[in-house]
Amino acid sequence: MTKEFDTEQLAKEYRDKSPQEILALALEHFDTAAISFSGAEDVVLVDMASRIRPDFKVFSLDTGRLHPETYRLFEQVRKHYKVDIDVLSPDKEAVEQLVREKGLFSFYEDGHKECCGIRKVAPLRKKLATLDAWITGQRKDQSPGTRADVPVVEKDIAFSTPDHSLIKFNPLSFWSSAQVWQYIRENDVPYNELHTKGFVSIGCEPCTRPVLPNQHEREGRWWWEEATMKECGLHAGNIKQQTG
Amino acid sequence: MQISMVKKIKADGSPCRKCQEVGERLKSAGLEDRINRVIIADEREPDSEGMQLAVQYQIDRAPFFLVEEEGQEPRIYTVYMRFLKEVLQTEASEEEQLKDILDSSPDLDYI
Repeated sequence: MTKEFDTEQLAKEYRDKSPQEILALALEHFDTAAISFSGAEDVVLVDMASRIRPDFKVFSLDTGRLHPETYRLFEQVRKHYKVDIDVLSPDKEAVEQLVREKGLFSFYEDGHKECCGIRKVAPLRKKLATLDAWITGQRKDQSPGTRADVPVVEKDIAFSTPDHSLIKFNPLSFWSSAQVWQYIRENDVPYNELHTKGFVSIGCEPCTRPVLPNQHEREGRWWWEEATMKECGLHAGNIKQQTG
Repeated sequence: MQISMVKKIKADGSPCRKCQEVGERLKSAGLEDRINRVIIADEREPDSEGMQLAVQYQIDRAPFFLVEEEGQEPRIYTVYMRFLKEVLQTEASEEEQLKDILDSSPDLDYI
């Protein structure tokens, strides 16, 4: 059972608070809140949650195309924190139809969204329909091209329905990658071996590659897609402001 | 009811891929005729009608739909699925819904 939750007010109030305080707000307010763990730097959320509420919940999206290193991390985290990870699989028939019609690497030709939709978003949507709140490791600095802010708490418009309101927490929103890694080292948090091989952002194996020093992590994902395909914004800098 | 679709022309003069795609989806669903007017937001021309509408309604993505009804405030839709459901009163397929979620939530790339 949840009390009234004013996301706009709380987003302002918690903007400058620590990830642990934001996470505590989520876990203490929502019994069904769950952490979305991708097998990358968001492992810090699992560590933080384990210190706040022993019965915290975690789920992961197994697209079927993850790196072996990521599967190994899931297992390591499960044992290390003694937590059951709800590993979600995509709909078998939908995957089979996609592969039958378009092959195993259609994303290199058609873009990643169709495959991500089936392997990631559909099981995510199904899972989120059972929760009142979810917690992500999204950070504002992960996608500098996106103008949208990443509030520390928000109503999840993408997955809320008229009958089901969903709250999304992004406790790491204002942390940098450097702060995440400082936490990992200081707290001896298990991490994905791929990070030692030059990977920063980690997704599915065919769609993720290591980046060079000073390359943005975004360049390690869907690099074959033009920047313009990833961006549908109206560029405000080109818009003459009306006056008067 | 007057429905306008605002499409973007990019700074290099090429059409916005997403706008084209939404146009094709409307066409294949037999809903193209429900759009009364197409307005261009040309990034090379800040005075173009679409760019000015974007400023007026503080919209930062394309395409978007402007729905005008007599005696009511104009409504803006940037999420195609919502426009489809609330204005055209049509349910999209699951495949379209999933794609639209990804299109409108680029942050999901990092989940």
